[in-house]
Amino acid sequence: MRQLGLPFYLALQYIRRGRKWTLLLTIVLMTVAFVNLIFVPSLFNGIIDGANKQIINTMTGDIYITPADGNDYINQKDQVLSQLNTVDAVQATSARTLVPARLKYKNIAGSWQVLAINPDDEKEVSNISQKIISGSYLDANDVDRIVIGRQIAGGNDVEENAFSFRDAKVGDKVTLVFDGTSKVFTIKGIFNSNFVESDKRAFITENSLKEIIPYATDKATTINIKIDQTANQNEVIEDIKQKNIDGQVYPWQESTGLMKSVSSSFLSINVLLSFTSVLIAAVTIVIIIYVTIINKRKDIGILRAIGIKPYIIVSSYVILSAVYAFMGVVVGTVLFLTIIMPYFQIHPFVLPICNAVLVLSWSDYVARAEAIIWISVFAGYIPAVIVTRTKMMAAILGR
Amino acid sequence: MRTTKNYIIRTEKISKIYRSGSMQTKALNNVSVNVESGEFLMITGRNGSGKSTLLHQLALLDYPDSGEVYIEGKKTTHLSEKKRMHFRLSKLGYIFQEYALIAEMTVLENVMLPAMMLESSKKAKKRAIEMLNKIGLHNKFDRLPSQLSGGEQQKVAIARALINRPKIIFADEPTANLDTIASKEVLSIFKFLNEKEGITIAMITHEPEELVYASRIIHLSDGRIA
Repeated sequence: MRQLGLPFYLALQYIRRGRKWTLLLTIVLMTVAFVNLIFVPSLFNGIIDGANKQIINTMTGDIYITPADGNDYINQKDQVLSQLNTVDAVQATSARTLVPARLKYKNIAGSWQVLAINPDDEKEVSNISQKIISGSYLDANDVDRIVIGRQIAGGNDVEENAFSFRDAKVGDKVTLVFDGTSKVFTIKGIFNSNFVESDKRAFITENSLKEIIPYATDKATTINIKIDQTANQNEVIEDIKQKNIDGQVYPWQESTGLMKSVSSSFLSINVLLSFTSVLIAAVTIVIIIYVTIINKRKDIGILRAIGIKPYIIVSSYVILSAVYAFMGVVVGTVLFLTIIMPYFQIHPFVLPICNAVLVLSWSDYVARAEAIIWISVFAGYIPAVIVTRTKMMAAILGR
Repeated sequence: MRTTKNYIIRTEKISKIYRSGSMQTKALNNVSVNVESGEFLMITGRNGSGKSTLLHQLALLDYPDSGEVYIEGKKTTHLSEKKRMHFRLSKLGYIFQEYALIAEMTVLENVMLPAMMLESSKKAKKRAIEMLNKIGLHNKFDRLPSQLSGGEQQKVAIARALINRPKIIFADEPTANLDTIASKEVLSIFKFLNEKEGITIAMITHEPEELVYASRIIHLSDGRIA
């Protein structure tokens, strides 16, 4: 029993009195290996998380309601909104009415989604109002004013410029063509949510809608709902369903569409890259520890010669390796949380679906920290066993 | 006439061959040596005569290709490494020509290390301090080997070899890297251990003037006792 502490004692002496630069370099390499392991999944998590937030914040809210089967509209929407607002976890609601119209600008016309909204309600559910890059957002009293997405306005730096108005500006006139008639609107604002799908839409006020399609008054094609972030989404959906609302209730996940397959592809790529990263980390760590232990071959021979049992020697190097790995994990975590993540928070990866920041999933973190430590333990064990099995005098004399 | 019981070490026709590719070198050729308890045996011979190889076999640091090594009458050649290690730990002490201290450990830690295999670190430390005081290194406990002279390092190696109260000390040219004064100090320690504490010593030397310390001398030539 008294020998149980000896491996820790030996490992401690190696760390305390070993070459500081070697220790530092080993920890740096372990840190790099660990940061590399958590960076890739964090990036993919960030992209998926960012895309999901874009869907929630610009397209659907946390929960959305569509017309009941066979209906084009949710009728008596004001009453429905009132009912929804009585549900505890519901923080805000916004009705949207799809305008069956085409948009025309100069000699360019296209079928983009035009939605009629109550700007005050919409501000509470969606963040489009915060994404205005030119002009301003709608006011409830606005009539004949329209806010369009960047992908409609166009411009040389816009992804889908060829299918846009090619650089329409605030103050320019656009025509809404519907049912054989038309109405001219002035562009009040242009928004850029960094989500191409969202930026291919235009918004007008409910007041404008009343003028052009009177029969759509008090009707909605969707109602978006924002809920308390601590609430259980499924429970809130059940609560809403209890209200017998004229429509179908869905979680935002039901509207991910293209993003569902994109997220699924990212997950597959993530698994593949994670496997590669683990492999690279494993090879790196095995080389580091192997070189460290081979350099200690003489010491290991001496320890054996003076009667230290091989399992104690092997255990000391396993502990040493685990300590290296643990230090790499700790330094890597500090580096990741205090420098790398904040850096990308300020300078996110700009993608057509979102501005991606790094999102560290704790399950990924724990799995990868464990992977690094187990790989290191393995990397320490194998060479230490090999060296303790070589001929003692050969180890001491360096033959 | 002596019986085998009186020999603390006895070898029976041990041979050792080193192989390197197709080359074979017979380092020991049917060597039989008997060492009595309390002897101060010196082994001499030219370089390559097999002195160190013989000492490695006697100290159970290596296995002969044939023959048998007895320690206190017990056969050791076919013992498990675990048992041979226990012999090394509790009955044998080995001193290398180049000290073989652990660079990352202080003088005190180097000396107490073998004792920690047999007793608590507290007791090991206490005995290591006693040992170092006895050997004249009372003010160097916290020094690293690299901060000591060659003579001091060899004294640390001696203290480490003695810490578990061995019955036999093996020393492979312990004075080869030391100056005259340090060499005399080391030999005086050996003489003291041998005469006052009854420890059997088997030592290799190249120096004729050191032979005066021996109670018996054996000369090796081409792997045989001349």
